[in-house]
Amino acid sequence: MKEPTPRALLLTLIVLLVLAGVSLAFRFAHLGDFGFAVALGIAAIKAVLVALVFMEITIEKPTVRFAFAACLSLFALMIALLVGDIVTRSPPPLGPPPGTEARYKG
Amino acid sequence: MREHVAGHFEDIEKQAHAARFGMWVFLGTEVLFFSGLFALYIGYRIEHPRGFDVGVEHNTLVYGSVNTAVLLVSSYFVALGVHELRLGRNRLSAWLVGLTILLGLAFLGIKTAEYLHHFADGIYPGGTGRFFEEHTDPGLKMFFTLYFCMTGLHAIHVLVGCGVLSFLLYKVATRSIGAWAPHPLAIGAIYWHLVDVIWIFLWPLFYLVTGHVR
Repeated sequence: MKEPTPRALLLTLIVLLVLAGVSLAFRFAHLGDFGFAVALGIAAIKAVLVALVFMEITIEKPTVRFAFAACLSLFALMIALLVGDIVTRSPPPLGPPPGTEARYKG
Repeated sequence: MREHVAGHFEDIEKQAHAARFGMWVFLGTEVLFFSGLFALYIGYRIEHPRGFDVGVEHNTLVYGSVNTAVLLVSSYFVALGVHELRLGRNRLSAWLVGLTILLGLAFLGIKTAEYLHHFADGIYPGGTGRFFEEHTDPGLKMFFTLYFCMTGLHAIHVLVGCGVLSFLLYKVATRSIGAWAPHPLAIGAIYWHLVDVIWIFLWPLFYLVTGHVR
């Protein structure tokens, strides 16, 4: 695998800017609850593009890719466990302390 | 050629690999460092969707969006700078790195203007200020506390990135590094790209998305 060419770099920038424009357009499309997944999905695609082309992870040796993959796996594990905990626990773990709910109405 | 290789490396290629590996491991710790804050954001957003919606609506979309474009273009310039350095075009590379630094400073300038805008509205770090007396939803305090914490930490990273790139700009301009050993600029650029990637996620979280997470 070779380093990206200037043409590939420019093309990547254009795609990144277009994706940013799409994210912005969806902001006004009022997708409701679906909007969160769409916006973060587009952000993930942009991040992968930056990692693949600008950060040149494809030309790195397996040791480098493994080190970063381990970090991303830990990140995904933490988010998955956290979200799983919050959406399944009752009462919610991060809500207002008991007895203080009235202060927060408004 | 050999004078550019540290004594404990066989050749420049192994030295460059070790440097890149070290940078990637460091970036891994940076991701984990920010991941706690992202986890907090998701957790509190699930618990306080209304407050987070109001917070997103209150943030100025133009500031965040312009800053997104600024960082994406800066990432392109520094990547191109690395490419030119590999070809031995130090002068062009130095210009591109210089442009990257300028865009980084522009990002910080826009961020400062945005913070001042918030302060004028009575929104201060830690959920203090008159804004929170008028808006008592606890989610708003969570939102703006996370906003200042995450964007502030990110801004510090941009500042550090500008410092690192300024040092590398000096090295490129004085031909201390060049086509024979471009890896110092390459690993500095990788750091800059990570700063860009973090903003790629901060932008939708604080300026774009409304609605429930689940």
